[in-house]
Amino acid sequence: MTVFCVIPAYNEEAAVGRVVREILPLTDKVVVVDDGSTDRTAEAARTAGAVTLRHVLNRGQGAALRTGTDYCLTAAKVDDLIVHFDADGQMRAEDLPAVLAPLREGRADICFGSRFLREGNQLPPVKKHLIMPLARLFVRLLGIKTTDPQSGFRAMTARLARELVWSDGRVHCSEILLQAHQAERRLVEAPIIVNYFRFGTNTRQGFGIIKDLFIGKLIN
Amino acid sequence: MWQQLLAIVIILFFLVKLWLEKRRRLINRQEFLFWLVFWLTALVLIILLKPLDYVAGQLGFSASGIQALLYLAVAILTYFIFRIRLRLTKIEQDISRLVEYLAIKKK
Repeated sequence: MTVFCVIPAYNEEAAVGRVVREILPLTDKVVVVDDGSTDRTAEAARTAGAVTLRHVLNRGQGAALRTGTDYCLTAAKVDDLIVHFDADGQMRAEDLPAVLAPLREGRADICFGSRFLREGNQLPPVKKHLIMPLARLFVRLLGIKTTDPQSGFRAMTARLARELVWSDGRVHCSEILLQAHQAERRLVEAPIIVNYFRFGTNTRQGFGIIKDLFIGKLIN
Repeated sequence: MWQQLLAIVIILFFLVKLWLEKRRRLINRQEFLFWLVFWLTALVLIILLKPLDYVAGQLGFSASGIQALLYLAVAILTYFIFRIRLRLTKIEQDISRLVEYLAIKKK
């Protein structure tokens, strides 16, 4: 069972090298997708030991994740695992074994890292008390029970990854969750800690995600 | 009367512009026909403004025919904006597919 880790990166030369070095011993292959950065992100990732793909234009986090995932799928077998991870250093590599465990044990098809299953996550108040409850309510209305509907830290089987289609921007979190649920795949969550030194998705972007979901439904 | 004449001049201007664009092959036949029908319909409606007052009254509009035309114009414009938005999103998706293809191919 090969574990591929896909890391989308945009102007992350300061952090991506450390992230790759931390995650590399826990996986078999790390693929960093430089999403049209204007700094030396790609070089930093390559030096640290990652396979590096480069977008000639900035297309968004979802697009970079898709490129990296598609690249891994060209080599992956159905039971291999694909991890999505961030390049900014906010997620902790040490949480990866817990996220991979349900898949390795054959208990799940996809495992989402949740920031609400253990103490220690210092979420910004707006995110904790406004964005997350709204996102949770939104997915709850669609019949999904999850503690963290906006988690970008996840692992899935290559079999499931082949079935998923997600958009360019930040809406991938909701889309992957919804599609996995609709396909009746086994979803589980594992506790993770995210060290916040950036806000991440703000309220405006949060509403943008709902808008993108709506337009995506109309087009596809 | 003057407003009617002004509207007709504006529509004729757009019709000439459309014809020039077609001649310079800046738009395809389908697009040309669509806009031709659109502007000709607008021209006919403006010329028949008086009978339109009657039609508007029959349809239950309390205002005059020109106001009914404005309602219609707003509805059509809203529809166009919606269509353009969908089209833009589709183009964005196509660009992303191309960028993705190039990234993997160059590896």
